[in-house]
Amino acid sequence: MKKPDFIKAFSFSRTVYAVTIMFLFMPLLVLVLYSFNESRSGSWTGFSLRWYVKLFTDSSDLWRAFGNSAIVALSSALVATVIGTLGAVGVNWYRFRLRGCLRTITFLPMILPEIIIGVSLLVFFSGLGIRLGLFTVFVAHVSFNLPFVFLLVLARLEEFDFSIIEASRDLGATELQTLWRVILPLTMPGIMSGFLTAVTLSLEDFVITFFVTGPGATTLPLYVYSAIRFGVSPVINALSVVMILGTVVLAWSMRRFLKNIAAK
Amino acid sequence: MKRKYFTAIAAACVLVLLGSCSGSKDRLYLYNWIYYIPEDVIEDFQKESGIRVVVDSYASNEEMYNKLLAGGKGYDIVVPSGDYVSIMIAGGMLQRLDMGKIPNYANLDASALNRIRFDTGNRFSIPFMMGAAGVSVNKTKVSGYEHSWNIFERNDLNGRMTMLDDMREILGAALKYLGYSVNDSDPAHLEEARLVVEEWKPNLVKFDAESFARGFAGGEFWVVQGYAENVYIEYEPSRYSEIDFFFPKEGMPMYMDSFCILKDAENVEAAYKFINFMLRPDIAARVSDYLMLPSPNVPARALMTVTPNYQFEDLAKGEFKEDLGAQTLLLYNEVWRRIRVGN
Repeated sequence: MKKPDFIKAFSFSRTVYAVTIMFLFMPLLVLVLYSFNESRSGSWTGFSLRWYVKLFTDSSDLWRAFGNSAIVALSSALVATVIGTLGAVGVNWYRFRLRGCLRTITFLPMILPEIIIGVSLLVFFSGLGIRLGLFTVFVAHVSFNLPFVFLLVLARLEEFDFSIIEASRDLGATELQTLWRVILPLTMPGIMSGFLTAVTLSLEDFVITFFVTGPGATTLPLYVYSAIRFGVSPVINALSVVMILGTVVLAWSMRRFLKNIAAK
Repeated sequence: MKRKYFTAIAAACVLVLLGSCSGSKDRLYLYNWIYYIPEDVIEDFQKESGIRVVVDSYASNEEMYNKLLAGGKGYDIVVPSGDYVSIMIAGGMLQRLDMGKIPNYANLDASALNRIRFDTGNRFSIPFMMGAAGVSVNKTKVSGYEHSWNIFERNDLNGRMTMLDDMREILGAALKYLGYSVNDSDPAHLEEARLVVEEWKPNLVKFDAESFARGFAGGEFWVVQGYAENVYIEYEPSRYSEIDFFFPKEGMPMYMDSFCILKDAENVEAAYKFINFMLRPDIAARVSDYLMLPSPNVPARALMTVTPNYQFEDLAKGEFKEDLGAQTLLLYNEVWRRIRVGN
């Protein structure tokens, strides 16, 4: 017997699918909607761009925090990507003592609760007498970004056809030339996704940053957290919309970039 | 080609990082409550003095205090509330002030200064703003009440009222209602206060310090205990008349936030300049206008252009929250725990 169409339309997997999508995107929709609300309060009173005007003309504290976040995210992701990639290539390519140990240790920062990393970094920095500030936030972010880059690049390397490397060495390329000309281009998708993951993780980190931040180094999540005492200002909504747009553009161009690499 | 690009970005980032780390003489590091001083006031100070002000914000005394304790060095000025001023004095975290460098101190209202116990004579702290949490009533929904804490006893408003999630504010309110001091340390009095709160509790939706104002503005809650500024900011000025904000006649706990210079401050001269600047009548008036709060700065009151949410005289029945001391604090914590958790 054939099931009627409406049962098919409400099958279990479809319902789960619909509910999941709704849970993922409804909050974002509400956020976008209220960024255009005329009043501060939770009820809709009319369309207005006043929060965007306020965001771009009268929110220098917010932009300073955003700037700090951007500096830390880009620089820490960059450094973590360089170190993480080299580490992954090394672990994958060479055989040395404690190699297995190194791979396991790298997992540690991923599974340790953030609050423990935060406290230990704080104790470490104050023990060494390092002044807390943007620099310590940068160091902390590099350290928790590193394992993610390492693992993403390693995953890419593990599905690598080693005969290519052998071929390049056979044809007279030095070790370094092989690294630059063969290995890096081929692992580029892994490196790029590692870099982007690192940027995202760094942008959103609250707990670790809270511990290691110092004078003049308030990042965006920290700023939003202390601002929330006075109710969430729709200016934060407006900023979120701008950031969502930025992320979409970035992700889209990234996809094209990766596709191009794959096509080559 | 791509490599060069990569290196250039890396170099730029490192430069920016280094640049932001190097200290400079003409700077002032201010650690302040969020949204406490309008940005244009800070800008004016920078223009006048040539000192760059770096501001970081906190949302509670505990946050600020723990950050400093954990080794947050580098700040010059902090703005603790009264009880935390005495805690920080006792901890040796503050500098003894040189009043000769703050001539505008004379502008402050002596009637307020005389009531300060957390730092009698202001040897370590310069009062900035004072205020108190009160009760807001939605006049369109509730009538026939007096300006007293007993409004929270009304069963008919069950499920329409909230109080702050703040030990000192709740116990202080109950103690005042019973005619005791907000800093009372007598266990018997605290037990009485607990019974009062237990009587209020069934009528409350929740103890809440973050979202009560939004619920109040949305018509969900009709009677809320909280700071006037939190409530008014959720309203359009045209609807201000719907709010009845009052301080109960029995009195209420009151705060005083004060400028303090930290012991390890590196820019002490700049800090004095800043504090003196903030006490100038025209500047104090702008801050009070921005916060819609009455000013403890006497000449500033005449310069205000905004009607504050309440008058300075209304605060006369308030009492400053003082540091309780470790012993009494334990007692308060235990009473508060019983209220929050039950049994």
